[in-house]
Amino acid sequence: MKPLKSNPYNLVITGVGGQGNVMASRVIGNMLSILGYRVTIGETFGASQRGGAVRSDLRISEDITFSPQIPKGGAHMIVAMEPAEAIRVLGQLGNPDVQVICNMRPIHSVNVISGEFTYPTEEQHRQWLSELSGRVWFVNTTDEAVKMGNPILSNIMLIGALAGTGDLPLDRSLFETVIAHWLSADKLEKNLAAFDKGMAMTMQ
Amino acid sequence: MQVFGPNELAADVLNKDLCIGCGACTQMCPYLKSYKGKTSMLFSCTRQQGRCHAYCPKAEVDLDELSNFLFGKAYEGSPLGSYEKVMISKAGPKMISGNFQAGGTVSALMTRALQKGQIDAAVLTDWKGLFPIPKLVTRPEDVVPCASSKYLTSPTVSMLNKAQELNYKRLGIVGTPCQLTAVAKIRTNPLKREDFKDTVGLTVGLFCTWTLDARNLVKYLSARGDVEKIKKLDIPPPPSEILIVTTADDEIKIPLSEIRPMIPHSCSICPDMTAEWADVSVGVLEGRPGWNTLIIRTEKGAKLIADAEKSGFLITDRMPKESFEHLLTAAGNKKVRAFRQALKEGCINNADNGHAALRVNPAVIKGMRIEPEEDHVGHT
Amino acid sequence: MSAILKGKKGEQRLLMGNEAIARGALEAGVQVVAGYPGTPSSDIIENLSRVAKDRNMYVEWSVNEKVAAEVAAAGSLAGLRSMCTMKMNGVHVASDFLLHLALSGTRGGMVLVACDDPNAHSSQHEGEMRHFAQMLEIPLLEPGNFQDAKDLIKWAYELSEELRSIIFIRSTTRLSHASGQVILNELPQTERKAVFSYNGFILDQMTGSVITLPIFFKHPQLQEKIKKAEQRFESCPFNSYTGPENPEVLILTSSACNLYSIEAVHLLGLQSRVGILKLATTWPLPKGLIRKHLQKVGLVLVVEEVLPFLEENLKVLAYEMASEIGIKRILGKRDGILPGFGEMSPSLVAGALAKITGAKLDQRPEEYEKKVAERVFFGAPARDWTFCPGCPHRATLWSIENVLQMDHRQGFVCGDVGCYTMGLSPINFGTLKTAHAMGSGTGLAGGFGKLEQFGMEQPVFSVCGDSTFFHSGIPALANAVHHGANMIMVILDNSGTAMTGFQPHPGIEKNAMGDIAKAIDIAKVCEAIGAKVRISDPFEVEKTQEILFQLLEEKGTRVLILKQVCALSPEKKGVKKFEMIVDAKRCLGEECGCNRLCTRIFHCPGLVWDKETKKARIDPILCAGCGVCASICPAKAIQKTPATSGKKEAA
Repeated sequence: MKPLKSNPYNLVITGVGGQGNVMASRVIGNMLSILGYRVTIGETFGASQRGGAVRSDLRISEDITFSPQIPKGGAHMIVAMEPAEAIRVLGQLGNPDVQVICNMRPIHSVNVISGEFTYPTEEQHRQWLSELSGRVWFVNTTDEAVKMGNPILSNIMLIGALAGTGDLPLDRSLFETVIAHWLSADKLEKNLAAFDKGMAMTMQ
Repeated sequence: MQVFGPNELAADVLNKDLCIGCGACTQMCPYLKSYKGKTSMLFSCTRQQGRCHAYCPKAEVDLDELSNFLFGKAYEGSPLGSYEKVMISKAGPKMISGNFQAGGTVSALMTRALQKGQIDAAVLTDWKGLFPIPKLVTRPEDVVPCASSKYLTSPTVSMLNKAQELNYKRLGIVGTPCQLTAVAKIRTNPLKREDFKDTVGLTVGLFCTWTLDARNLVKYLSARGDVEKIKKLDIPPPPSEILIVTTADDEIKIPLSEIRPMIPHSCSICPDMTAEWADVSVGVLEGRPGWNTLIIRTEKGAKLIADAEKSGFLITDRMPKESFEHLLTAAGNKKVRAFRQALKEGCINNADNGHAALRVNPAVIKGMRIEPEEDHVGHT
Repeated sequence: MSAILKGKKGEQRLLMGNEAIARGALEAGVQVVAGYPGTPSSDIIENLSRVAKDRNMYVEWSVNEKVAAEVAAAGSLAGLRSMCTMKMNGVHVASDFLLHLALSGTRGGMVLVACDDPNAHSSQHEGEMRHFAQMLEIPLLEPGNFQDAKDLIKWAYELSEELRSIIFIRSTTRLSHASGQVILNELPQTERKAVFSYNGFILDQMTGSVITLPIFFKHPQLQEKIKKAEQRFESCPFNSYTGPENPEVLILTSSACNLYSIEAVHLLGLQSRVGILKLATTWPLPKGLIRKHLQKVGLVLVVEEVLPFLEENLKVLAYEMASEIGIKRILGKRDGILPGFGEMSPSLVAGALAKITGAKLDQRPEEYEKKVAERVFFGAPARDWTFCPGCPHRATLWSIENVLQMDHRQGFVCGDVGCYTMGLSPINFGTLKTAHAMGSGTGLAGGFGKLEQFGMEQPVFSVCGDSTFFHSGIPALANAVHHGANMIMVILDNSGTAMTGFQPHPGIEKNAMGDIAKAIDIAKVCEAIGAKVRISDPFEVEKTQEILFQLLEEKGTRVLILKQVCALSPEKKGVKKFEMIVDAKRCLGEECGCNRLCTRIFHCPGLVWDKETKKARIDPILCAGCGVCASICPAKAIQKTPATSGKKEAA
């Protein structure tokens, strides 16, 4: 077991209901579990089917079962499937050193569609994400996933992007081991391709 | 004319109990709807300006502007408004008889106008169960079944909005003073819309001193028995002091003292008894049963009367002097009462961005010498 | 084969708390399981029902929690191991039966698993129910981590069979819905045969009649059981202490709060100063164990959710022991160092510990704190919950709202429990004006419907889901009909317990194990009760509104059944009835006459407002093709055509 950058290492997967957040956190959790780390996943998915914000807190440790909630300001990495959700999580868990991988495709809430609230521009989101984090990767996984034929592949691509940063000991074969349990063989190849594409987005 | 939006309509009219349910704001959008005599705002609309407010006869009615538009002169505040001639009339031999309130003048004029093609459809008011509803009529023979006074609030103007969609070009409309105030506002194109078309070809006004809240009357009648359909409402001339409700199998007599609480608050600020914004206005002539009072206000109105008379649809006569004076007094009193009440409620000529129900040249009000302390007639 | 069946003894799995509980039930050899769905408890039966056939179990979704407890109790009384599951509300529903069951006793092991929802993530209150254990006089267990969530189950069955008492296991959202590693144990091979014995001595709990009387015999017997439970609790392997021999501060905790406490000590680096006593046995408290730890310390912090249950019981014990061990300072919710509402978190516990010990809790730089607050305000607009694209409830509430507003008599709707509870929110028309327990909407409406003699003139509606109808809507309807209440009950029949994941109910032709079941016709039930019944499809907006207007003219108790399958149901998901388009030429947009009715008021996520073109458009990925928006568009710009493929684009 490789020592973690921090014990615990606190990873957040955030997005909007229907983006495949829960699956992504389970896949990552299982990958790390295989490597022997203690993993706790806390999920807030009450609103998953109803357009609400969805957040998973992954607590990764060498020795301790940590709680399902990351303490205030305690995130090391935020993987965001939607930019406004990245900002929302930073509000609670952000700190000057946190790293962020953010899919820049917005999903407008009913409050925005109705005109009750204004959704920021991409430029604003980029600027704010940069100033609130130590490092940020802006990616367009939805666009890439649509090109591959299915927008839901965006979450797999983000797992790849997380692996690409090298912050956690995640790699392609580990991903394949875990995902093979979940998917039929015919879908495996496409998911592996999505993982590779994501990985390339953040690799130096 | 100042035009605001639905929020102001709600604040200044609906929530202040000034809505008379004329229907002018309905049939144009999904937000305002009329059902059983009541106009409701279903959801909030955020527009700064809207036809709903622009057409409302209880919001920012600029009497000078209406008078200038229809008669080419300023509003003087005279008891009967602008007119050419006052006479008396009744349906002529060419008219079939009907459920007429008095002389059948209105039915005769609409029948003739349709027959001659002066209008391509008539917006009238019919009954639906116990509630008055607007009805669009294109055949002359369909006019008479809608005859009779309703005495109840009715969303008649909504049919004008609806008829616009149906591509009628010259609509005839029969309405009460408030309804025809809305029609006049509509015709001035207050929002200056480029696509606006004035589809009104004829307006026939009905005298009105007050009306009754349809729901309250229905509730009152329902409590007294099984009432399915009203056939006729009638208030015989003084000193009878009763409302006679004729239903399919009954005649209910209600003392006016029980009726008065059902008069909408809105009537108390209405300065118009004789439907001043019409081509011709018609009322019941007191003291000579079977005859109407007839006020001709425009050239169009005069031509219609002349033609109706010539073709045997209408018979006219001179008005007795005492009747005329009685009419002047009644109309003048209503005007004074209304302006006094509007002043009291602070909904006339509001300055400093205030919203008014009525706007009128202050000199007109001054000329009426309305003393606030005289007030004891106000709405109860 | 389901994931929880997989895995042999000694293998490690990443399991959700509820999966761990389900696996624990399998390892304990449970044969009968019954429950009523409710977040965060539903996954336990969801998992067990999938393996019911493989493990020869009987698993059902019962009509309500009381019946679930009764069905499970029958298993126990026939000598089998049984389990019933529910969310906290359900314990209140089941408590009448449980009160008697505690006294009559059980035979085969019986466990009640009930899940609290502190902070009401998916509930309408956060009232906890540990007090029920005390009231019913039955033992209470709380797993303090994921491994315990599984292993405690088997231990509970052994205890249940030793005491012949039902055992209460309490979980919370953050344990039930969180995942952690669990080491598996083996699945038993033996099965028991079901026999109900009743020919023995009448007071013999195992062979006589199952009764609660006579009290002078049964109640002391129950209290003996509780004493025995307390003795067993002294050596319960799931109670554990971590920390220095003589800590400055002792944290007494249970459930997910154990994990928060561990983390708080870690955050403040207080491992050498603070000890944690994790209790799995929270009622009755093991006096000896408590004494052992209490005598070594002067100050105790009790960390728990939601009410000061442990704290108060600890204080009773501390008082009793005061002459032996001295007076202890016990902090928790009563003094306000921790809040008496909502969830605990590592930060909250660390904050309290920092106050007590003077340790310093790392804070974010002030400048960052200020900036991030501002960015969240502008950068992360709220995401209110709304109905899904194609949801029948949106159409239903739309029709009711329109009709009530036009009716203009200040009519109102009493809400109930289900997705449609979201109708309370202004973004979902705010049509509902009350929301309480299951079936309460109709009960309340029936009450309002009798207030005419006191001058009430407002029309009264209730809304009630199909599952809720069977759960507790039927008695409320019977009461209304019998007393001639003036009200309209609108039954929102979307063919399943949709909010919690399509669990079947008695109106469905399938049971929890996937077998064909007799479906009960809701309309016939209502008619038999004596209500006048109409049926409509909420997607037929005009017809539905017409019926609602008619119903408003009538008197007495009226029922309208609005039938339309939930958009997320397995049979419907991905199937479009209509292809929707917006004719941009007709779309009035923000003009007078529309002002974006569809995107500003109707709020279906499948409709998008295009700021550039100032026109509405359909989001083809989100749109479910229900066609309702075509009937609300005043300009007839939204148009529908029958879908050709019938299948939604791959999403």
